[in-house]
Amino acid sequence: MTYHTLLFLLVAVAAVAAVMARNLLLSALMLALVSVGASLILFDFQAPWAAVFELSVCAGLITVLFVSAVSLIRHEAGAAENRARFYAMPLVMGIVAIAAWFYAVPYFEALENWARLGARPVSLGTVIWNIRRFDLLGQVSMLAAGVFVVNSIFPRRKKQK
Amino acid sequence: MINSFSTDWYFITLIFFAGLYCMLVSRSLLRQFIGLEIMSKSCLLGVISVGAKTGSLALAQALIITMIVIEVVVVAAGLSLLVKNYRITNSTDIWSLDNLRG
Repeated sequence: MTYHTLLFLLVAVAAVAAVMARNLLLSALMLALVSVGASLILFDFQAPWAAVFELSVCAGLITVLFVSAVSLIRHEAGAAENRARFYAMPLVMGIVAIAAWFYAVPYFEALENWARLGARPVSLGTVIWNIRRFDLLGQVSMLAAGVFVVNSIFPRRKKQK
Repeated sequence: MINSFSTDWYFITLIFFAGLYCMLVSRSLLRQFIGLEIMSKSCLLGVISVGAKTGSLALAQALIITMIVIEVVVVAAGLSLLVKNYRITNSTDIWSLDNLRG
């Protein structure tokens, strides 16, 4: 079993732990572990820029957002959940894992034969600034929309009469 | 370099299913977001795996950076809606959203 597969296994185990954790804070931290594992996989794929983004934004910023949201809500305010469904998760995951091993893996192997090489290797800068320049406009407008949403949900308090 | 395409996608399937299961089973809004995050993480891994397979890693990286930025906006907006909803209904149950009136 290679390092690469072990990283994927780490991400899968952390994902199951994030779903199964009873404590929401632990769940958020496990989600951060999923992000760290994904970023290590990106490094392994020799995609360092995406890995750095993943590590800083997903493992850092999103975890902070989740932890602050958990701290703003009380634990007992959480929904009365049926824990039996969560305890059944390893069983369901095991069934899915076995079924996927027999049905999905041959499909993925067939897909692999369909893979064709891309046109030519270009640098990340060329892709971002020249080929997919329109995406940048979308990203900036999404960021502006996010700021607008947060600003409109939590308006500045006015003096009450 | 890396030739375990089908193994990668096998694990990606499992990670995606874990997120989907979380979203299906849980009634807490926060857990729903965690499930969504896990699903988006598995999609990210799928994009980079295909990018490595087809030799267009730069394009895959650009797409992933776009995806991460949008993910942050979605999480920030969603969590702020969650906190606002908690202040109004005093609950994070997803069915408490049913009480809203336009």
